[in-house]
Amino acid sequence: MSALLIETHALSMRFGGILAVSELDFAVHAGELVGLIGPNGSGKTTTINMLTGHLVPVQGEIMVRGVRAHGQAASAYATMGVGRTFQITQLFGRMTVLENMLVPGLARPGSKKAGATRAARRHLEFLGLAALENLPAKNLSGGQQKLLELGRALMLEPAILFLDEPFAGVNPFLRDEIIVLVQKLHAEGRTFVIVDHDIEALQRLVHRMVVMARGRKIADGTVEDVRHDQEVLRAYAGF
Amino acid sequence: MTDYILIQALNGLVIGIIYAVIAAGLTVIFSILRIVNFAHGEVYMMGGYFAYFAISLLGIPPMAGVVFAMAASFALSVLIERTLLTPLYSPTTERKGDYGILVTFGISIFLRNIALIVFGPYPLRPPSFLTGALILGPLIMTWDRVFDAGAAIAMLVFLLWFMHRTAWGEALNAVSQSRESAAIVGINDQLFYMLAFGLGGALAGGAGALVGPIYSLSPSMGLIPDTQAFAIVILGGMGSVMGSILAGLMIGVSESMFVALFPDPSRSLTYAQAFSLLVLMVVLLVRPTGFFGRIHTALD
Repeated sequence: MSALLIETHALSMRFGGILAVSELDFAVHAGELVGLIGPNGSGKTTTINMLTGHLVPVQGEIMVRGVRAHGQAASAYATMGVGRTFQITQLFGRMTVLENMLVPGLARPGSKKAGATRAARRHLEFLGLAALENLPAKNLSGGQQKLLELGRALMLEPAILFLDEPFAGVNPFLRDEIIVLVQKLHAEGRTFVIVDHDIEALQRLVHRMVVMARGRKIADGTVEDVRHDQEVLRAYAGF
Repeated sequence: MTDYILIQALNGLVIGIIYAVIAAGLTVIFSILRIVNFAHGEVYMMGGYFAYFAISLLGIPPMAGVVFAMAASFALSVLIERTLLTPLYSPTTERKGDYGILVTFGISIFLRNIALIVFGPYPLRPPSFLTGALILGPLIMTWDRVFDAGAAIAMLVFLLWFMHRTAWGEALNAVSQSRESAAIVGINDQLFYMLAFGLGGALAGGAGALVGPIYSLSPSMGLIPDTQAFAIVILGGMGSVMGSILAGLMIGVSESMFVALFPDPSRSLTYAQAFSLLVLMVVLLVRPTGFFGRIHTALD
C-alpha cells in the first residue's frame, strides 16, 4: 500500500444547531484518484474545507502525511502539501495569468523567480493557457479561470489536490479537457480528491468513490460497488 | 501677493505630502483588513509623542527620533491588531466591518484619553530637525518643513518600493485581492494582516513625528488629520496608494490656496478643512469612485 497522505478520525463539524459533518473517517493514499459525491447539503464542501484548513472541526483528528494538522491555518495545510481549488473560482483578478502562477512562490522560502517562471510557463503550456499569460486573470472565461486555478495549485507541487466542483458550469468540451488533464496529472503520480455532482464525469475519471449524505459517509468503494449500493440509491433517488 | 501665494502653495505641498503619508497608511490597512481604522489619527498622535520622549528622555537626535517613532508606532499597531482585531479573521464573526469600526473607534478614544492623562493637555514641542530657513529669492521655508517634505517623500518611495518590488509587498497585494486564494497557496494571511496594520501605523506615527516641530503635539492633534485622511483615501480612490498620494497633495495645496485667497483672512483657517471636504464632494459628483477608484477595493 502506498503512503497515507491524509487521514481523518471521527471528524465532525457543526454550524449552530446543524451537524454538517458527523464522525467522518476518511483516508487517501498517494496516487489515488478519489471522487467525493453526495446530494446537496451532504457535507462535501464542509469536508474539503476542513481538510484544507478553512474550517476547524469541532471534533476529530486530521493527519496530513502522518502529522497532526488539526487547527492549523489554510496556509499551513498548503505548505504541508495540500492544494485545492474552489467551487467558485478564486483568483487574483487584477494580476496577469503568469503573476497568478507566481504567487505560490512568494510563500516558499528559497523560491527563485526565474525557476518559478519556467515552471509556471510549463504548467500554462500543459493547460493550454500559454498564449494568455499576460492577460489579467479577471478577463479569462469561466472555464479558463478554472484551469488557471488548477495551474496555480500545481505550482505548489502538492502531495494531494482537492478539486471542488471542477465541472460545474463548464461546457462539455472543456469538461472533457479537464478530465484528460486530470488523467495525465494522475498518470504522473499526482493524487486527487474530486468533489462534483457530475457523476458521469467522475465515473470516467476516478477509481474510488466516497459518498456522503446528511453529513455522514454512507459508501466508500469502487465506482461499480457504489453504483449498486442500496443506501446510495436511497440517498439519491429516495428508493 | 504672488510671493505670498507661492509660499502658501509650497507650505500646502509640504502638508499635502504629510497628509499623503497618513492616508497611504490608512489605505494599506483598509485594503488588507477591510476595515476603516478610526484609531489612525491617534497612532499619528502617539508617533509624535514617541519621538518627543525619545529625543528628550533617551537623548537621541531628532531625525533618529522619527525612525524610533515609526518603530514604536509599528509595535503599538501590532499590539492593537493582535489583541483586539483578530476576531475579524474568524469565520464565526458576523458584521466584521461594524466590528472594526466600533473597536477602532473605542481605541481612538482610549488612546486620546490616555495621552491626556499621561502627557497632559498642554502642547509639547519637540526640537527642530534643522534650524533656520531656506531662502530662495522671495520664497522662504523653514528647514524643518524642507526636512519634513524630504522625509515624507522618502517614506512614500519606500512604501511604493516595498509594495511593488519585494516579495512581501507582492504577497500583501495577493492578500488584498483574495484572502482565500492567498491562504491556499501558502501565504500566512494572519501574518500579513499584522504587517499591514503595523505598516499603516508606522506611516501614521512617522507623520506625527514629522509635524511635531511645526505644529506642536497635543492629545487631540490626530482628529483633523484623521478626517483629512479619510477624505483623501476616498478622493484618491479607495484601495489606491498612488491615489492617496496624489489626493493628499491636492488637498494640501488646495487647502493652503484657499487660506491664501479667501477674502476674509480671519476666518479662512477655520474654513480650510471644510473646503477640502467641498473639494471631495465636487470630485465625487464627477467621479464617484475617486481618482483611481475601482468597484473593488484591493491594494494597488
